[in-house]
Amino acid sequence: MARFHDLEVTDIHKTIRNAVVVTLKPVNGAADAFDFTQGQYLTFRRDFDGEELRRSYSICAGKDEGVLQVGIKRVEGGAFSTWANTDLQVGDRVQAMPPMGSFFTAIDPTAEKHYLGFAGGSGITPVLSILKTTLAQEPHSRFTLVYANKGVNTIMFREELEDLKNLHMGRLNVIHILETDAQDIDLFTGLVTQEKCAQLFEHWIDIKTVDTAFICGPEPMMLGIAAALKDHGLEDGQIKFELFASAQPGRAKRRVTNGDAASQANQTSASVTLDGSTQTITMPKDQSILEAALDNAMDAPFACKAGVCSTCRCRVIEGEVEMLANHALEDYEVEKGYVLSCQAYPVTDRVVVDYDQ
Amino acid sequence: MTDSMTLDSYLAAGGVLTNPTNVPPRYRAELMKLMATFVDSELAGAAGFADIINQGPGIKERIAAAKIVLEKTDNADRVLKIMGEFGADTQRYATHHPWTARLDRDADIGASRSEHDMRLAVFNYPLTGWVDAVVMNLLMSRAVAEQLAEFSTVSYQPLAEAFRSIAPIEAHHGELALEGVVKLVEQGNDSQLQASVDYWWPRVAVSFGASDAEKFKSLQAMGLRRMTGAELKARWQAETTRVLTQLGLSAGPG
Repeated sequence: MARFHDLEVTDIHKTIRNAVVVTLKPVNGAADAFDFTQGQYLTFRRDFDGEELRRSYSICAGKDEGVLQVGIKRVEGGAFSTWANTDLQVGDRVQAMPPMGSFFTAIDPTAEKHYLGFAGGSGITPVLSILKTTLAQEPHSRFTLVYANKGVNTIMFREELEDLKNLHMGRLNVIHILETDAQDIDLFTGLVTQEKCAQLFEHWIDIKTVDTAFICGPEPMMLGIAAALKDHGLEDGQIKFELFASAQPGRAKRRVTNGDAASQANQTSASVTLDGSTQTITMPKDQSILEAALDNAMDAPFACKAGVCSTCRCRVIEGEVEMLANHALEDYEVEKGYVLSCQAYPVTDRVVVDYDQ
Repeated sequence: MTDSMTLDSYLAAGGVLTNPTNVPPRYRAELMKLMATFVDSELAGAAGFADIINQGPGIKERIAAAKIVLEKTDNADRVLKIMGEFGADTQRYATHHPWTARLDRDADIGASRSEHDMRLAVFNYPLTGWVDAVVMNLLMSRAVAEQLAEFSTVSYQPLAEAFRSIAPIEAHHGELALEGVVKLVEQGNDSQLQASVDYWWPRVAVSFGASDAEKFKSLQAMGLRRMTGAELKARWQAETTRVLTQLGLSAGPG
């Protein structure tokens, strides 16, 4: 099971007005766990007003740079990205899970391949990691990047890309497509759609030579590009996607309480068995079994907290609980007394639950 | 760029998802179930086959059986790793179930699952010996081939990739089973082979699932299914009937 580790912020710099590049160093001997593959992402967690948020950001560093760096662009109304852009300081500690994701292909130093990357806005971060690593470790391969942005001043890593073009002379080709700013060539203005791709494949990109395509951007852009690539003969296995949609798994609303805190009727004695040991705790009836267990320092399993992944499943041995949502358990499991503890609120004054069954 | 597209319409248009953070709740539930079904079936299948290794009539057969056990466990591990990215406790997962547990040979459970895991119903039935195991493997590997072809296109990219790499390995298990059956036919085990085909045929057929049009539609909209269980079953029946006929055996009832 993936676990969170502490990382120290060793550097922060802005790449554009509303995006930062954060350099991180694992502490407490967790360095090995953060040995990433190009194109992977880190999942961070942080408490905001008592509610834990988890957000994933792609690593933008190449394998050979010897640093762990993520790019975080501020999203309107986004608690985590705003915090990272305004409050985060060098020396702070953050928590993240080890690198995950499969947005990469294996590096082969003898390969002579043509890679094609598409990035929309902050979707550049994993693509940058891939192109830096590939150009450094596959000296005979080349990379074409189609990079979509609103305008010139919202292009993340613009100078770094220029430097990379000079460093890998003739092997990196960058095509900027700008939504609003006019360019010398009409084709390079507007959105990256299926039609735009088809036009690019006519004169600007030799699609027949492309071995693998990487796409990271918003949904409509990914669909259009994928359709164009398939039209031009690429197979599913040759197209790699990375999508960071804004949608997050929903959070269950807590049950409304009657506010009568003095009432004894609001308290439940819960006996919770986990990993072979049993703890009896007193908890309010408007708290979920999972939250109560976590509050009492029990390492209860959970993931989505939305009644979905079933990781928090436990069995009610005695008493009664009410589940607010259940997207994971089948009827027969519920009949046997299984509940999703993140969704389960005690009804009786005493409940006995077991995570080990 | 316009970001004005819901994940639902993105998925319905054939979009793919790539990591746990952008997976909507209902999708996540169905994906977890799909993965758990595969992992549990592979672990249960491997556990059942492990008991058969020493019944292999020769060293080659035992090597083949041991290889199947190893590779099915390895395939389970690949998918379990993806479940782990969703928060599943992968350490505990592999060891907390009694994977070798089986029901009676005559139990009639249809397509229902057992109490403790998500393995396909067919993996709840015990193997009676070497001939039975080879026949079960032949029929089931053909079914797995159809199912993996289907699931290699699921809209969760890491899982689609895992299934694409698993498919040729499972296909090879089918080739090993075919070699095994050919040998058993040569040795004159026809009646025993036919009895096993008759026993396993309907049980493998059931593993394609009951047809629930409503459910299929929602899975299809999420990009988790393309063909119905009935369509996959029909392909399996046609293909497997052809193979059995070539071997001088006949397809089972139902």
